[in-house]
Amino acid sequence: MVAEDASRASHASGGRPDTAMSDRMHVLLIEDDDGDALIVEELLLDAGAPFNMRRARSLAEARPQLGNVSCVLLDLELPDSRGLTGVRMLQDAMPELAVVVLTGISDEHLGEEAVGAGAQDYLVKGQVDGFLLQRVVRYAVERSRAEETQRQLAQARLLAAENSRLERGLLPSPLLADPRLTVAARYRPGGGQMLLGGDFYDLVQAADGWVHVMIGDVCGRGPDEAALGVCLRVAWRTLVLAGRPVQEVLSGVQQVLEHERQNERLFATLCMLSIAPDRAEGRLHLAGHPPPILLTSDSMRELAAPVSLPPGIGPGSEWPGSTVRLGDSWSLLLYTDGLIEGRVGPGPERLGSDGLMKMIEKARVQAPAAAVPDRPENERLIDSIIDQARELNGEDLDDDLAMLLIGYHGPAGGAGP
Amino acid sequence: MDLKLDHHTKDGIEIVDVEGEIDVYTAPRLRELLIELVNSRFYQLVVNMEKVEFLDSTGLGVLVGGLKRVRAHDGSLDLVCTQERILKIFRITGLTKVFGIHDTVDEAIAARKSEK
Repeated sequence: MVAEDASRASHASGGRPDTAMSDRMHVLLIEDDDGDALIVEELLLDAGAPFNMRRARSLAEARPQLGNVSCVLLDLELPDSRGLTGVRMLQDAMPELAVVVLTGISDEHLGEEAVGAGAQDYLVKGQVDGFLLQRVVRYAVERSRAEETQRQLAQARLLAAENSRLERGLLPSPLLADPRLTVAARYRPGGGQMLLGGDFYDLVQAADGWVHVMIGDVCGRGPDEAALGVCLRVAWRTLVLAGRPVQEVLSGVQQVLEHERQNERLFATLCMLSIAPDRAEGRLHLAGHPPPILLTSDSMRELAAPVSLPPGIGPGSEWPGSTVRLGDSWSLLLYTDGLIEGRVGPGPERLGSDGLMKMIEKARVQAPAAAVPDRPENERLIDSIIDQARELNGEDLDDDLAMLLIGYHGPAGGAGP
Repeated sequence: MDLKLDHHTKDGIEIVDVEGEIDVYTAPRLRELLIELVNSRFYQLVVNMEKVEFLDSTGLGVLVGGLKRVRAHDGSLDLVCTQERILKIFRITGLTKVFGIHDTVDEAIAARKSEK
């Protein structure tokens, strides 16, 4: 055992020592009484305990050293703390720290209360030998570490559950009855993290045969943005199912955003396309969102429509739209900007929508060769686009991305490949 | 992946020079600077984006947030930008209707002065 002077010890290197690997455990004794401190040091010395022990005379003196220790032996009568306040302070400062309380014979009941307040164990002064002390410290550290692992595990499970709940909310099952239409959808959280962003999409076929498709993006990334994205998608679906005209749907989404956002600065871009029952044309509304890309057997182009402000930015009560010609057989790609913001080399250049279209061209050429018989063509195409974008970026894309690829295989109702 | 920020006063207007990439990682620093300026009572801002290489939706959000903040004090936030790839982002998002976008800092200042 090595007893170091507290002031000298505080120069020791920062970071928590990995006590699981090293034999020497770092123990901090917080005890103002020199006699009692000497007894503890002697006990551990007698037992030959492999501990590096330091001493602090008060909580204030101990506080800066907590990062370097595995276990604290805490006297309950200190100049700056009495009773359980010290235990609570240590719990607040460092919940994962193992704390063992030292009590006198007369206040042994405090030991039990200290355990209730978060201490791992308690020892009664004068009734301890070195081996007991050593064992109690070791067990306290092990228990504390196990609890910390459990806590982290529980937290990770909660986060995963929360994310999958949000993800289900953001990315629903399309409500589609028309067998001539196929839908392939993908969502990827950005930066290879579990953190969700606020990308969302939906597709609803109305009773009158129109198919309404929407994709949107709440600016920023995180649980607030994701939760807001869920609100907006449900608001959109509700208004569409209620058969409201597009102008009302978009104004309704804007109102919900303004009322539900946590932060006044949040806004969302939105693209809404309504496909007519004959599937040959549609009405497109762009509210600050990149336009869809129309693919036909012999061409590819971005659809065009007047651009209105993203909901959440302006007063925006008017949503100009445009009629778009789709044709007899087509695919439509709706996406969020995470897809086109990936790098394409070491410089600042990004993919952009031009780069995306070049990529699709390439993917369409390659697709037949990579054909998997039981997967529809659009499923392959959408995966190929994501793979290429990620490959060009050199790693997972930073921002989250959502894509929706809708295919129409002609008035004859051909089922496609 | 780097962002350089600088600012100086010119003709009573605070010019913010931004260089590099404004993305999900760096945008918080621009937000902090804009908040700091507004807290120091600079309500007439021009953000010079001539050396901005990339701007994502988080960056747009920060600019919109800055605009809302200065407007709360009857202030203004104008942009200087001539790069096509950055301008395209403002066009797609419709934000050309929200921000005054100018070719040079002097032009931005002149436009602001003439509006008064």
